[in-house]
Amino acid sequence: MASTIVAFELGGREVEVMVKPMTTLQSALRDQLGFTATKEGCRQGGCGSCTVLVNDEPMLSCLLPVEDVAGQRVTTLESLTPTQGLHPLQQAFLDANAFQCGYCTPGMTMLAQALLDHNPAPDRGDITQALTGNICRCTGYGPIVRAIEVAAQAMHAGEEGQPR
Amino acid sequence: MTVRSYFLPRSLPEAIGLLETHGPELLVMAGGTVAMPLINDGISLPGAVMGLRRAGLDTLEVAGGTLRIGAAATLTQLLAQPAVPMLREAARNTASWSIRNMGTVGGNLFTPPPGGDVAVALLALDAGVTLAGPRGERVLPLADFFTGFLSNQLAADELLVEIQVPIRSDPTLFIKFGRKHANTPAVVTVAMRLEWDGNVVADARIALGAVGPHPIRAREAERLVVGTSLSADTIAVAAAAAAQGCEPFTDAIATEWYRRRMTGLFVSRALEQLAQGAEGEGR
Repeated sequence: MASTIVAFELGGREVEVMVKPMTTLQSALRDQLGFTATKEGCRQGGCGSCTVLVNDEPMLSCLLPVEDVAGQRVTTLESLTPTQGLHPLQQAFLDANAFQCGYCTPGMTMLAQALLDHNPAPDRGDITQALTGNICRCTGYGPIVRAIEVAAQAMHAGEEGQPR
Repeated sequence: MTVRSYFLPRSLPEAIGLLETHGPELLVMAGGTVAMPLINDGISLPGAVMGLRRAGLDTLEVAGGTLRIGAAATLTQLLAQPAVPMLREAARNTASWSIRNMGTVGGNLFTPPPGGDVAVALLALDAGVTLAGPRGERVLPLADFFTGFLSNQLAADELLVEIQVPIRSDPTLFIKFGRKHANTPAVVTVAMRLEWDGNVVADARIALGAVGPHPIRAREAERLVVGTSLSADTIAVAAAAAAQGCEPFTDAIATEWYRRRMTGLFVSRALEQLAQGAEGEGR
């Protein structure tokens, strides 16, 4: 079968890619669209470094044919990052030294964003449960859990401080 | 990547039509959590693949005392349903959040051991499966579905479309024992349902995962507990029978010897917990 054109929403923008059958979303993002924040780790669904949000839910882009997200809303770390400065999660990861090599960080950040969307005030148990599919070989996870706790507080405070 | 064609049917008739046209050459994939790793690594080289994400097989509803689960309903959907608590527990103990958002209940029945934990719970719940093909639909008990390692009753032109679970109030217990607390392959998975008549076990389902070529029933252990009040002696004898009767294997997670020992231990613990629960309810 010839290549097909697949259109989906990426970070609020309509994008189109021309792909051979079953090209992964991971490959379309990195190799065709230049969105390289999404990492290529194990390509087995085992490490979580390729985590993206599809319609706000975390999924593994290495296991997802891009045809499956046609017409869907995809969010990667690029679209989480503000034009200026850092997202509260990014700032918290930086402040808490929640990465060394940084390879797991985009996946961790997207997973954390999904968690905070579902549960704005997670406890440590909620955070460790949510993170079980995302592997980090540098930090021992402690700083990552702390960063998410801090970011949750900061985002919560930010929302309360906003005029309604 | 060698896949020449990828089909995303929009309905069940369209999916069955594709199966009929392409036959066994067509790899059927739902969540992709089992098939995609093999394709990515070049271990599986299908010429054509059919994805089921858009086929309308992802509904989950309660009708007439039965939970009807579309084969392509995700494990996250299973985790959210309130009708059958043991299935929530099985989903919670399977893989990670992202995988549960992708992996499906139907796909879990095709996941080789030590995977396929949800199928173990379904087996203990007397689930039925609906298979659809060009000649229509047929329903069979899940217990008759599995025929061996990676083999089952599904014909080449058939599709698993639905899983039915009778909703009952019998006490159930699901224990998955792995090397980590979460997101881990099982050393052994035990799913149990006991029907009580007063303080006597009237019927029992003891299902085991990761200790056979597919999820299995510990039928000898079931036979030994029915008609008893689960005394310590009965539990010991039944647990020993479950350990002796299973067919464990050695892999990176555990040895055959260890899996067999843990089968006895966790069948025993599950029976003890259910016996205590029965006492607590004044049976």
